[in-house]
Amino acid sequence: MTVTAGNSLLERLRRDPRMHEAVLRFGESIIALVIGLTIGAVILWVSGYSPGEAYYYLFQSSLLDTYGLTSTLSFATPVLLTGLTFAIGARAGLFNIGAEGQLYMGALGATLLAWLAMHVPLLDSPLGTLVGLLLGAALGAGLALIAAMLRVYRGVHEVVSTIMLNWIAYWLVYYLQSQKLYWPKDPTKSIPVPPGARLPLLLPGTELSASFLIAIGFTVFTYYLLWHMVHGYELRASGLSPRAARYAGIDPNRSIMLAFVLGGVAAGLAGAGEVMGRPPHYAITSGLSNLVNMGFDGITVALIGANHPLGMIPAAIFIGALNAGSRAMQAFAGVPLEMVRIVEGVIIIALAVPGILHMIEEYLRRKRELREIAAKEAEASQAG
Amino acid sequence: MEQRTLILIGAVIIAVIAIAAFVARSGPATTTTQTATQSPATGTATTASPTTTTAAAKGAICVVYDIGGRGDLSFNDMAYLGAERASKEFGLSLKEVQSKSEQDYLPNLRTLARSKKCTVIIAVGFLMTDAVKKVADEFPDQLFAIIDGYIPDKPNVLSILFKEHEGSALAGALAAMATHYFIDKGMDFKADGVVLGMEIPPLYKFEAGYYWGIRYGEKIYEEHEGKKVQPLKILYTYTGSFNDPAKGKQATEAQLAQGAAVIFNVAGATGLGIFEAVAEYGHRQGKTMGPPFAIGVDSDQDWIKPGFILASMMKRVDVGTYTAVRKALEYKSGEIKKYGGVLVLGLKEGGVGLSKLEDLKTFLKLAEEAGKITPEEAQKIYEQVKKMREQIPQWIWQEAYALADKLVNNPDVSVYGVKWSQIEEFAKNPNPDGIKKIREQLKVG
Repeated sequence: MTVTAGNSLLERLRRDPRMHEAVLRFGESIIALVIGLTIGAVILWVSGYSPGEAYYYLFQSSLLDTYGLTSTLSFATPVLLTGLTFAIGARAGLFNIGAEGQLYMGALGATLLAWLAMHVPLLDSPLGTLVGLLLGAALGAGLALIAAMLRVYRGVHEVVSTIMLNWIAYWLVYYLQSQKLYWPKDPTKSIPVPPGARLPLLLPGTELSASFLIAIGFTVFTYYLLWHMVHGYELRASGLSPRAARYAGIDPNRSIMLAFVLGGVAAGLAGAGEVMGRPPHYAITSGLSNLVNMGFDGITVALIGANHPLGMIPAAIFIGALNAGSRAMQAFAGVPLEMVRIVEGVIIIALAVPGILHMIEEYLRRKRELREIAAKEAEASQAG
Repeated sequence: MEQRTLILIGAVIIAVIAIAAFVARSGPATTTTQTATQSPATGTATTASPTTTTAAAKGAICVVYDIGGRGDLSFNDMAYLGAERASKEFGLSLKEVQSKSEQDYLPNLRTLARSKKCTVIIAVGFLMTDAVKKVADEFPDQLFAIIDGYIPDKPNVLSILFKEHEGSALAGALAAMATHYFIDKGMDFKADGVVLGMEIPPLYKFEAGYYWGIRYGEKIYEEHEGKKVQPLKILYTYTGSFNDPAKGKQATEAQLAQGAAVIFNVAGATGLGIFEAVAEYGHRQGKTMGPPFAIGVDSDQDWIKPGFILASMMKRVDVGTYTAVRKALEYKSGEIKKYGGVLVLGLKEGGVGLSKLEDLKTFLKLAEEAGKITPEEAQKIYEQVKKMREQIPQWIWQEAYALADKLVNNPDVSVYGVKWSQIEEFAKNPNPDGIKKIREQLKVG
């Protein structure tokens, strides 16, 4: 029985190119991880820390411990969603780095709900949760829509527009947090989300809230959309080649719009989920310090996960584990935070290298193919 | 194609084995190096019977730093100094965790509490108040301490607060006497000022003490010189931020334009802009030292713009962390029955004070160790500050430091009809109405 099962698996592997590709990518990641860990170990050793002890506490406390694992998953939640923002964009041929600002807008949505609930007690309930998530998703998508329209109607490159919009969102939310929506009892925070409208914790005494389920749900939905629905097919097709897509009757601009808005929803949910689901503050803190960089960390997750929604789940959990495990590494292995972050940076870079190489390879391949086609056309016209 | 697959599968297997071997090897290695404290295995063993944790008294001092963390040469570094002193004196190990953002508070505290390795967990900073409350309830057998946070009602949490109004009064007295001295030397000053961060009640304590101190300093100056002086204008500005040096600079420039000679920094990192503005103002007039002056806060900041910082209102966070460890050990050994509650450290306990030249030496050493300045620079800074201090008559310094004893022993001292005991009462519950009244009584603004 087991033999045949094994055989059929190997058989499938040989036959199914996508399965083959997945195993290939996974193998690359493992090799990259080993390289990253080794370089990190050398850095630790040279700096006078024990690499064995450091890695032991890093991974023991983040993956092999119940509380640590919940902490890991809670840190994986926002970066999985902002990773989707980048990945969906990349599938549509975009370089969308606007998740950061869209996440701020999502957090603002949840804070608006908190403000509304002060006046409408009815919202201190699961209804409020829903309203907060919808507001967050809408505001995130709204900001993304600006970049989408600039790109589609005015040809403004999304890197430029999203960088600028990130800053606009940052200062807008900062302004509202510190001047309008601050909590009178503690003006360093915004009005907290009322208890009834918070996303429930999945386990008491941890930081893991239902926002994790939202992130996983959205990831699976994105996968289904991209590979099993027409809109997703069109989106990928126009990402691979806008001209060919248009020739096939697909409107690439519509795909760009869809990718931006969907990405905005993901980042918006990430921001709303952080504010509505993370104890103990349930608010935006001064300088947006509890949100900063979550959008950019998502790019890392997308690169490690090869822009594939399902590949990004383990990638996000790994990034979450590095974050969660950094505490025990500091406290019990005596490695200062700065060194922890250097080592983690090295590991992350190593993991991202295969993804980057594939993107470059893909780019070169497309260029080469185009050149070959051009050459053939030239030949044909000469012959004619 | 097939060959490639096989090679890859082989590589994956080798990689997995390599990682497994690596982790397996490092596990035991950890146990041997950690025997001094507690191996992870015995850590879980003690979980079963919480009483054994107390018996195995040789524990650790665990410190969670706030955002900013070590290397700020201020608040967090002070906390470290105290914890390190305690660890050496009591023979405990020191475990430190920094916070990158607010999201780190809970996991940092929980990870330490779960490890059962900490004699006491010290949270450095009032922003951690909510997180400490939560985790203290979850781990009733674990002792906690919080600096600057107010958690009065938990048996396992010690809240350490400071009498900032006392230190601020000394700063105010020094500012007023120095200002009048320079006015009498023919310089064109009319005011003393304070630039503050966000308008939150704890800052009212600084305000009240400082204003009272200024009026007190004027009284002493009159008595010493045997003549009446024109009362100083007192200026105050809330910048609305603790981390915006540009705003601090702007507010300071406005106060300097109104004739301020000394400006007190109560604004965290915003205060770096105060120092810059004061030094720039001085440099423009070709001076290498004040007036005008700034007054530093929290740590000894006299070295940041040497010559332009009159002194610093030091808040001895190191005394706070040290005291927390001492109390935790006393409680565990049964010397004291009650651990939790609020501990307020003032002049009497050495919790606040006005910086002296000796303090500068300690901090220059710290800055040197952190690689921020070279030994030559440290020497130069020391000389500069010493020279600045010497241009102001000795009696002014003596009177400013002597105020400490007076406040502690005789709270009935009064200026403008405001007794010191009144300021002390206000500091217990700082509120907007109270500070308005104090400003009126002391003719501020």
